[in-house]
Amino acid sequence: MEKTKYFTFAGRILKNLFKKPATTQYPFEPADYPARMRGHVEIKIEDCITCGLCARACPSLAIQVDRKAGTWTISRFDCVQCGSCVIACPKNCLIMEKGYTEPDILKKSETFTKPQEEKKEAGENGAGAAAGGKPVMDAEKCVYCTLCAKKCPQEAIQVERKEKIWKLDEEKCVECGICAGVCPKKAIEMKG
Amino acid sequence: MAKRSIIPFGPQHPVLPEPVHLDLVLEDETVVGVIPSIGYVHRGLEKLVDKRDYKQYTYVAERICGICSCGHGLGYCLAVEQIMNIEVPDRARYLRTIWVEMSRVHSHLLWLGLLADAMGFESLHMESWRLREKILDMFDETTGGRIIHSVNQVGGVQKDMDSTMLNDILHAIDDIEKQMKPIVKTFLHDYTVQSRLKGVGVLSKDDALAQGAVGPMLRASGVEYDARLLGYGAYKDLTVEPIISKDGDSYGRCEVRLKELFQSFDLIREAIGKIPQGDISVPVKGNPDGEYFVRIEQPRGEAIYYVKGSGKKYLDRFRLRTPTTSNIPPMVEMLKGCQLADVPLLILTIDPCVSCTER
Amino acid sequence: MDDYKSEIRKISMAEFFPAIVHMKTDKWRLVQICATTVEGGYEMSYSFCKGYDMVTLRLEPKEDEEVASITQIYPCAYIQENEAAELFGVKIGRIKPDYQNRLYRIDQTAPFRDKE
Repeated sequence: MEKTKYFTFAGRILKNLFKKPATTQYPFEPADYPARMRGHVEIKIEDCITCGLCARACPSLAIQVDRKAGTWTISRFDCVQCGSCVIACPKNCLIMEKGYTEPDILKKSETFTKPQEEKKEAGENGAGAAAGGKPVMDAEKCVYCTLCAKKCPQEAIQVERKEKIWKLDEEKCVECGICAGVCPKKAIEMKG
Repeated sequence: MAKRSIIPFGPQHPVLPEPVHLDLVLEDETVVGVIPSIGYVHRGLEKLVDKRDYKQYTYVAERICGICSCGHGLGYCLAVEQIMNIEVPDRARYLRTIWVEMSRVHSHLLWLGLLADAMGFESLHMESWRLREKILDMFDETTGGRIIHSVNQVGGVQKDMDSTMLNDILHAIDDIEKQMKPIVKTFLHDYTVQSRLKGVGVLSKDDALAQGAVGPMLRASGVEYDARLLGYGAYKDLTVEPIISKDGDSYGRCEVRLKELFQSFDLIREAIGKIPQGDISVPVKGNPDGEYFVRIEQPRGEAIYYVKGSGKKYLDRFRLRTPTTSNIPPMVEMLKGCQLADVPLLILTIDPCVSCTER
Repeated sequence: MDDYKSEIRKISMAEFFPAIVHMKTDKWRLVQICATTVEGGYEMSYSFCKGYDMVTLRLEPKEDEEVASITQIYPCAYIQENEAAELFGVKIGRIKPDYQNRLYRIDQTAPFRDKE
């Protein structure tokens, strides 16, 4: 049996009486956030290729990507700050920033639109937009393994192993370059 | 025979932040029967595996509960890695272990604070929580989140710790250990604390085993069982000794958790001393096909993760048996025969985590 | 992780109760019960631990087949059995105490049974 003692906390209490408070005086002193803090998601919209990988990776379905309008929308109050989209982004245009979303009385979402001129250019060039950096397959190297088709976020590539067909749907392609990255034979090149 | 009355306890109760819901059958002031019911915060997260792929689900698993978050992520990833035969790099195993041990420190400090608060010992509560803040700051610095870390992923961890961070952790735990000493003295020897804890809510060794108690509950009743000895993470390279207490009363449970705190400090130091250099994750290809049960030691006790996949992106079944699910039957057993005034304190000594339990 | 046993043993309905009694007399402790929906029925997994070893008994009842409750042998099983009965709709007979689908107090019957 342990001994029973009295006033075990007295010294501590006396010390606390004359010490500075352990807390920061928050609204008057700004909060100090560490560098790695996952506060909210920011986007470098000019680098965005609207591939939609982030929207697919988001476990709380907070991100919507509209390819036609070139917009990227995040519902700030659905976002759980997990950082899944940041890892999924092939262009590294998403970043986790310090500082939390401000409280609000309504569930707000924020929309970012891709800069206009770029969109126009893509529209003008239309189907022949090899300039945008579409994947081109080298028939000599290709073994028709279908890996590129499986990895394509937009399902823009069709591969038939038997008939040796490799087809790209240029409308769907978002030029993310994932197919070129996964190709085991390095048969795909992003030409632009 | 005295008249029986039924008193509802919870889901909202001033002593517990957790929505634990019990119906207490009383004879005068003595509890003679307890009917637990759950479901107040049931979210059906196990069912969400149907709609989120297995990599996304890591984030969902982490959000099952705030306090056990790191362990839930780890347990889920371990299960998927076992099915897919993924060998996690050594550095990742060590990093995971350091984070899980830190979360044990923060969970136990939280519990100590709550215990002091339940006894009405406000200043002790504040002291415990002030120390916990240091651990949370370290989490914030190393992972980017104070409570939900999102560092585990299938195949390893997402973030590395450099030597400054590891040093900061060492300093933080040295500091906490130094400041813990007077708090430990109070918890173990103070008159007020002893009079509330000693001999209250005794759970014998046989009862603990028969009712399926886990974690500190089981160890406080004198059973040497600590799931960390299974050797997951980096525990197979570290020295883990189950900490037990013989009495099985509330005081014993408090003592076990206090000693586990110091054990965690030692484990973190050992892990930081031994951490190897290298990669922190391996690429994952394909989908899980198979099933596996993983047992890990959460701060609140042994948790079991069951994952079943059939080669598709979406898993067939994820099941989590949380420590509190197992600890409710022994708690019910313990409550029978106690005084109404002791009920909140006794419920607290099992360290209930209702959010985990209701998933 | 591989140092300790963790096996899954399939058993039939006839073997089920004797197997549980055998586990009890052999001093295994019950650690978890899990229900899973499979084609035309369920998979019930009863896991037991002794020391650091784990054994899972796997029972495969059909959709309308009644499974006997093990609460007579392992009284602490009632929460997890009620959970399986309520969320998956597994027919478990004579759970003590039987919550009659009132453990979670949700409106839907067997919300976890069907795959989405």
